[in-house]
Amino acid sequence: MQASFVSERNLDALLDPAGAAWRNVPRTELGLTGTPLGLQPTAAIKASWADKKIGAIDRVDVAALNDGQRLLFRLEWRDPTESRKITDNNVFVDGAAILFPTVPDAPLVLMGAKGAPVNVWYWRADEDAGNHIVAEGFGTTRIVDRDRVRTRAAWNDGRWQVVIARDLRVDSPEPVANVQPGAPAQFSIAVWDGANSERAGIKAFSPVWTDLTIEPAQR
Amino acid sequence: MSSPKRQIAMVMDLNKCIGCQTCTIACKRLWTRDEGMDYMWWNCVNTMPGRGTPRDWETMGGGFTAGDARPSRIPTRGDFGDAWEFNHEEVFFGGKGSSAHLQIKGEQPDWGPNWDEDQGAGEYPNAYYFYLPRICNHCTHPACLEACPRKAIEKREEDGIVLLNEDRCRGYRFCMEACPYKKLYFNETRKISQKCIFCFPRVEKGVAPACARQCPGRVRFVGYRDDQNGPIWKLVDKYRVAIPLHPEFGTEPNVFYVPPMSPPRFDENGEIDESRPRIPDEYLVSLFGPRALEALGTIKSEVAKVRGGGKSELLDLLIAYEWKSMFGGFDRDPATIEWTKG
Repeated sequence: MQASFVSERNLDALLDPAGAAWRNVPRTELGLTGTPLGLQPTAAIKASWADKKIGAIDRVDVAALNDGQRLLFRLEWRDPTESRKITDNNVFVDGAAILFPTVPDAPLVLMGAKGAPVNVWYWRADEDAGNHIVAEGFGTTRIVDRDRVRTRAAWNDGRWQVVIARDLRVDSPEPVANVQPGAPAQFSIAVWDGANSERAGIKAFSPVWTDLTIEPAQR
Repeated sequence: MSSPKRQIAMVMDLNKCIGCQTCTIACKRLWTRDEGMDYMWWNCVNTMPGRGTPRDWETMGGGFTAGDARPSRIPTRGDFGDAWEFNHEEVFFGGKGSSAHLQIKGEQPDWGPNWDEDQGAGEYPNAYYFYLPRICNHCTHPACLEACPRKAIEKREEDGIVLLNEDRCRGYRFCMEACPYKKLYFNETRKISQKCIFCFPRVEKGVAPACARQCPGRVRFVGYRDDQNGPIWKLVDKYRVAIPLHPEFGTEPNVFYVPPMSPPRFDENGEIDESRPRIPDEYLVSLFGPRALEALGTIKSEVAKVRGGGKSELLDLLIAYEWKSMFGGFDRDPATIEWTKG
């Protein structure tokens, strides 16, 4: 997949999933699969989800752009229920994330491993700020910051349209992914359906790394 | 999870609980007055037989069967009874003090944290009920801890208190589903779960938990389980009159109950009928397992001994002539301590 270069530098315009910048950007459909029951990290989660479907969202349309400074993803998927707010103890919200390896072949299905971290750019429907997250295996996600990942989302006619963005390179002591135009990169997508009580490792994800080419700036 | 070095525990004597809710309010005032905690009652006292708090928690599942995690569900705010809002402004500050009466705002509730108080069961003249105070059981095998994928719940090595680390918690609520006693609460404002902390900041300074110290009925004993000079070991291990609630849930609680004795029954002629207890044995067994009857048997024989002029260490302990003796050394007065809010 390619993150084409755009000359539009206005972040507001780029974050708008319905904005002109995204109008003719080719979309790639990625198939998603539920995380395997056998890999759920605790016996209680396994018992609870043994007879339930994990990963209610089975496909997502992905497009990507870069403006020389930022990398932006636009995700769109069908979800008949807009779960935007936690209104009760048993209510969960929709979410989506882009996952990057920070070292070659960081284990995707395991959410990274000790010494092989993955970097997550995470959007959830009840929060304006995106979460910038690092993980080294199940249950180890830690929020690095809440200001570098920018998100915007709209739900219309049973479809979520979400833009998730971050600078191509950030200075951080944490093992975050830095990508550069012309160099190969990889990513994966995860989507949580709040109406299906999805949270944590209960989610749908693209189970293999997708290659990404970041188009260098056109002068 | 390694076993803690020591385990602090509580025994509640159900023969003494008068359902006054002083424990409930002590806990509420101390711990659950912040944002998002309005509906939380880390300590609750329900009338039994009754549906309890949250409603029908006993049949929700969770915990373990033969060591395997049992599926359950997450209790809703409505199940807990939610937090009612009253028209305080109107009555007290709106100049309508003589015309408007204090009432619940908005939709009228059909359930509350203590909705079926004092209903109980049985038919006159043999109606019966008793009160059941509940806090987190600080279990030896905490289902909440084992369910959490983030290891946000820990069992302290020094005293076995089960604590939820609010910095690690992401509000996934697997703990709420897993706990068979339904003693975890979700804070919607902070998006984390919260629970009884056995007043650990007090315990660390030698002060008993607020629910125990504030109890006017001398219901609650506190101490280390292995302290053979303290009340817990004597009631739980030596005399075996204090037993866990729903032992079949498989979490090995460290809160124990002295089961309630029954008032006498009356037969159809209004005569006292000693042939069976007013609270059916099978009901107590359904709550505490078969050991409930052994415990009651032990207490009855000790009562008989004392009536015959004998002495009973057990009854002296249960009567709690010395208030401070109930706290297994955790008897320091909190008013003498300089507390700082962390």
